[in-house]
Amino acid sequence: MALAAPAMRMASSGAFLPRLLPPTIFSTAMIQLRVRQFSLPLFPSLTLAVPVGFQLGLPSLPSILGDIWESILKAVPKKKTSHMKKRHRQMAGKALKDVNSLCKCPACGEVKRMHFLCPHCTTTHSAEIFSLAPTATSLLSASGSSSIHVHNTTDPTFPLQQTIPAAHKLGCHHVCTARGGLGHVAASVGFGGEIKVWTLPKPTDDDADTANNNNGNNNEWRLDWELGPTKTNGGDVWAIALSSDEGYLACTTSDGRIHVWDIAARDKIQSYETGARGGGSFAMAVDLSRDGRLTASGHESGAVYVFNNDAGRMVYSLSGLAKPVRAVAFSPGCKRLAAAGNAGVIAIYDMEHGEHVGNLTAPSSRPAWITSLDWNDTGEYLLTGSLDGKVRVWDVARGVCVATHSETDTALWSVRWLPKTERALGPGMGKSEMFCAAGASRSLAFYREATGS
Amino acid sequence: MFSTSGGQQRSANHAQTLDSISSRRSPSPHTAASNVIQFPSGTQNGAISRIEDLFESIVDAISSGDELAIPYQSTRSSQNGPSAVHPRSDARPMDVVRFPGRTVQEAKRFEALFRIIEMSHEALLSGNLITKRNIYYQNTTLFKSQSVVDDMVDNLAFTLGVGREDLNIVAAAKGLISGPVDLVLRDGSTHSCDVPGDTGMMLPSTTSIRQINFRNTRWLLVIEKEATFRTLAASQYSKSSRAGHGILLTAKGFPDLATRRFLSVLHTARPELDLFALVDFDPHGVAIMRTYKHGSQRLNHEENATAPRLRWLGIHSDDILSNWPKNSQGNSDSSQSQASQDPDSQVSVAYSFDGSQSQRPAKRIRISKTQGPSESISPLTQIDRKRAVEIMTEISSAEHIDSEGDDQMRELQRMLMLNIKAEIQAVDNYGDIADWLDGKLDI
Repeated sequence: MALAAPAMRMASSGAFLPRLLPPTIFSTAMIQLRVRQFSLPLFPSLTLAVPVGFQLGLPSLPSILGDIWESILKAVPKKKTSHMKKRHRQMAGKALKDVNSLCKCPACGEVKRMHFLCPHCTTTHSAEIFSLAPTATSLLSASGSSSIHVHNTTDPTFPLQQTIPAAHKLGCHHVCTARGGLGHVAASVGFGGEIKVWTLPKPTDDDADTANNNNGNNNEWRLDWELGPTKTNGGDVWAIALSSDEGYLACTTSDGRIHVWDIAARDKIQSYETGARGGGSFAMAVDLSRDGRLTASGHESGAVYVFNNDAGRMVYSLSGLAKPVRAVAFSPGCKRLAAAGNAGVIAIYDMEHGEHVGNLTAPSSRPAWITSLDWNDTGEYLLTGSLDGKVRVWDVARGVCVATHSETDTALWSVRWLPKTERALGPGMGKSEMFCAAGASRSLAFYREATGS
Repeated sequence: MFSTSGGQQRSANHAQTLDSISSRRSPSPHTAASNVIQFPSGTQNGAISRIEDLFESIVDAISSGDELAIPYQSTRSSQNGPSAVHPRSDARPMDVVRFPGRTVQEAKRFEALFRIIEMSHEALLSGNLITKRNIYYQNTTLFKSQSVVDDMVDNLAFTLGVGREDLNIVAAAKGLISGPVDLVLRDGSTHSCDVPGDTGMMLPSTTSIRQINFRNTRWLLVIEKEATFRTLAASQYSKSSRAGHGILLTAKGFPDLATRRFLSVLHTARPELDLFALVDFDPHGVAIMRTYKHGSQRLNHEENATAPRLRWLGIHSDDILSNWPKNSQGNSDSSQSQASQDPDSQVSVAYSFDGSQSQRPAKRIRISKTQGPSESISPLTQIDRKRAVEIMTEISSAEHIDSEGDDQMRELQRMLMLNIKAEIQAVDNYGDIADWLDGKLDI
């Protein structure tokens, strides 16, 4: 490995580093420095030959040499594979194989790879998808683009059912539906700070059949109510949650407040403060329990607060996560609260006594930030999505991760279980539970329980 | 102001000197002539005649005994009031300043404005440049504060329909340049920007530049922070980069008009030069990059102050977030390593000349053991979030959102989603950002 020494960066502050490091760190630092740099034009007079193995095996070098390595050790790219070499390999049957396993996408008709998601269908948004909200029959997705998309989840091809154009001009960061609710109300928040409440027209007796079959025109979401950014007096609106009876909307603000709105009366009925007036820590997540009794908020400071809605006051202040909390979720039975965020662990709290009952921890030494959290309908499993693109399913009773999916290496912003339905979704799909993950890849990825055994 | 510490004042026979420089230092076969760009001396754009017309109308008004009036339009007419000295609470539109006027304030404003016009006229006749600071010092009691002068000069230029520089009024130079290029000024002096040390060279006024010898530079990097600029200038990154020779430029934060003009001049004079911007990952960084690229809203009437080819080099959210998988496997990639940036260390880079730099790495070793994004990033403040939404509104209200706008939109959205910001130093390697730049500058 021939290397050259222009020695130009010796004056830079980085060159001082090796001298100051203890020997053990020094040797690792050496390897790093050597790997990432690149060769400058060679000057024959300054060429040195350094055997690589020798250098790696050495526990420590005289520290004065550190300056030299820093400036001269530049990796050299591999030689380009020649056409002849490539052709020889091809003739010998060692070249890249052609992809023959292609089929037609049943949804859009484009050619796609067999057993792979159709890239034409799944790239649903022109910008990153920030939030998902399922109803019994459809899935709303909100992205950095101005429109909200609604996909039908009763059909195995998940066709696009409705596009709400120009819902939020600057993009939409949160959309929610009621957990365990009827699925006739949805709410979304835009980056501009405006909240919009959308409703499905309630199916009457005579057109209930058409609504269930998703053929009727009545199945379109309509804007019901818009809440301007100024209505929340101070602090931008961030996360939102709907109560399961679809009557109340909770939203958090960047100054740490939680406002609760009565949707029917269009009036603010409750406002919780979590800090000195306007000085609370940014509330990044909120959830309402299904029995409507409790409200939980997760904050930038790592705090999780639980409020009793009947009494209108804080009941628990939960610690345990020192880093920003990005997701909170009540279990379906309202007995447990899960919270997760930058710490990369999921903290489970008991809601009877406000105790921290356990942590779910990924095996990695540096877990990535968890952006989204969801309980399945039975409360057995927790679903998390993280910034490194991994979807994890956790068995809460055993406290272990039972499945990890890493289809994408871009950030995931939202993961959601789809509510269990009574109907078989299609040939081979059964009644199994399904979930959906979305994020920076701009596509929706649907997963279903494997039906192997 | 334009002192060259290298002592390279070559006034006579500069063409020959430049030839010898390029043949000595540039290995490329380019001839010096193709890299030298001449700037014809600018026309005054009719500023003198407009000012003299104004004077004439005032003299006419005096002789006829009318009220004296100077047309005056505020560039901030759509925004808030310019300053507390003359609040916009009065009902009359501000399109004219009269003397004697109705209030004492208006009479004073007339006097101040008249004084500025007079000085500008003097400067135009003599061909000298006058700084805004100099105007303020001419009569500190009259102008009360520097911002009054700044506003008046910009509004005056806007009213007369000329650029600020056409009035021969300039702001004191704030920008710094470093790199293997030579600037030849109209007074015949040659300034090489290739100065040793970390100071760089003060940018001269663009109107005073007669010729620029680009030698064999291929890229230009606009840097938000002076500290980063100095680090790169001290390590001679403009010559040691893998991407070839280049130019470093900074305006020390939010860009002033002179620096933007200079960038714009390079932009038009040398289309093959690749322009990059290196700014913080926060709303202000994006705003600074957009100001270089598209100009500012307030000084929208100034022409030749944009650089549409400017590309946003970084830092992006991916640069901060992409190191998770690598970190979990034993920190194999230190070019993504994180080091926290506290204000103290930045100050020490900016104002230390030698010895004190050696103390910095010592402080960072402790931090480098716990690599990770959480060390180098900080949460957005409420002001940051408001600013981000403002910029997003600005982007989305543009006639057509191009891929650049999409890119900026996405980064701002991610910034808000994650609620984090990061300094340039988040991607550097214990203060040495050169490796990161080597990987990013693609030409």
